[in-house]
Amino acid sequence: MPDIWGIGAILSKLMLYVGIGGATGLLIIRVAFSDLVTPLGDKMRVQIALLAGLALAGSVLGYMLRGGALTGGADGMTDPEMLGLLWQTPVGDVLVYRVVGTVLIIAGVFMPLIGQWIALAGGMIALWSFAQIGHLPELEITGARLLLLLHLLGIAFWIGILGPLRALSRQPEYLSSAAMLGHRFGQAASVIVPALIVAGLLMAWMLLGDMRVLMTTGYGQTLLIKIALVGVVLTLATANKLRFVPAMQAGDDKAARHLARSIEIETAVILMVLVATATLTSVLTLPN
Amino acid sequence: MKMLTIVALISTLATSAFAHSSVDTTTPENGATVDEVPSEISFKFTDDIRLTKVSMIHQEAHTVTLDLGGQTSFGRVFALPFHSMGEGTYRIEWRGLGADGHAMQGEFTFTVD
Repeated sequence: MPDIWGIGAILSKLMLYVGIGGATGLLIIRVAFSDLVTPLGDKMRVQIALLAGLALAGSVLGYMLRGGALTGGADGMTDPEMLGLLWQTPVGDVLVYRVVGTVLIIAGVFMPLIGQWIALAGGMIALWSFAQIGHLPELEITGARLLLLLHLLGIAFWIGILGPLRALSRQPEYLSSAAMLGHRFGQAASVIVPALIVAGLLMAWMLLGDMRVLMTTGYGQTLLIKIALVGVVLTLATANKLRFVPAMQAGDDKAARHLARSIEIETAVILMVLVATATLTSVLTLPN
Repeated sequence: MKMLTIVALISTLATSAFAHSSVDTTTPENGATVDEVPSEISFKFTDDIRLTKVSMIHQEAHTVTLDLGGQTSFGRVFALPFHSMGEGTYRIEWRGLGADGHAMQGEFTFTVD
């Protein structure tokens, strides 16, 4: 059982995943499907800023919690010596990436014209921070960081579609837009999802080496839980693509309500996947 | 509620793997019984670490934070002066920062009999 600092580390990491993944995902969706999500423009802008704010808060909180973990008391969270020590390590570098990235997102999303590209650049910087420290980057395997970044971009794209697709599906007047958004996302996902699975399995192999540890170690068992949850998400996504979206394209507004409900369940399961990931990356040691 | 459930589930499954600990050897050794209270305790780690806090708990009743003194840099071997509290079981809890930024922690016990 992790101590209070471990639990805090998991929660702050979850804030980062939801914030950075959600904000960057919405930015990607806004660029990729701008013609379909126009009715949600102002709402998406506010959501992006709020998610980036959540990530910024998670970054600072996570940094302070690491200070607390060094002394085992709340005093460490504001102890200049502990925070200064952390600053000298890659943890300090990552904080800079995340602060710069999230601030660029917040500033860019409210700027006209090139603002969305500034915000997108901020999202990329924030995502890249995850490839700077952690179990995978520390393996120093060529291409591992790039593979992780591509994996994260794919996940951000997936997370980003959830809100807009649900919002459009719940409004009968946008049924055709929702159907088209679901269809075009499904087309992109048919390429991105297999790539995500391959990248995930490749990274698991890099980290574990021997698949027998999946059953015998806490890290392996948690990874198995994550894979099982991803299986649930894939099942829901398949139902959305093959059943609800085609029905919506045929004008069935009841299917749109089913899709919105399915997305809500999918979002809850994705949150569980992110909790499992935060646990893997925050408090568990690699088996080897 | 779902979030709490899964955190609890993962925590239960993964109990044995928590805490990044890379201490190689300690003096006295973990679980050792010694005749006299040592004048110092030492740690040897497998990787560079900066110790940030070391506490001594005597007989699970009295806790004293040990003075880290001049231990202000990353290293693998550390020796700290130790104060006698008489016979009994001593538990040493340590916390530190790995050069890679990982917070690390661990503990060992020994008995003076």
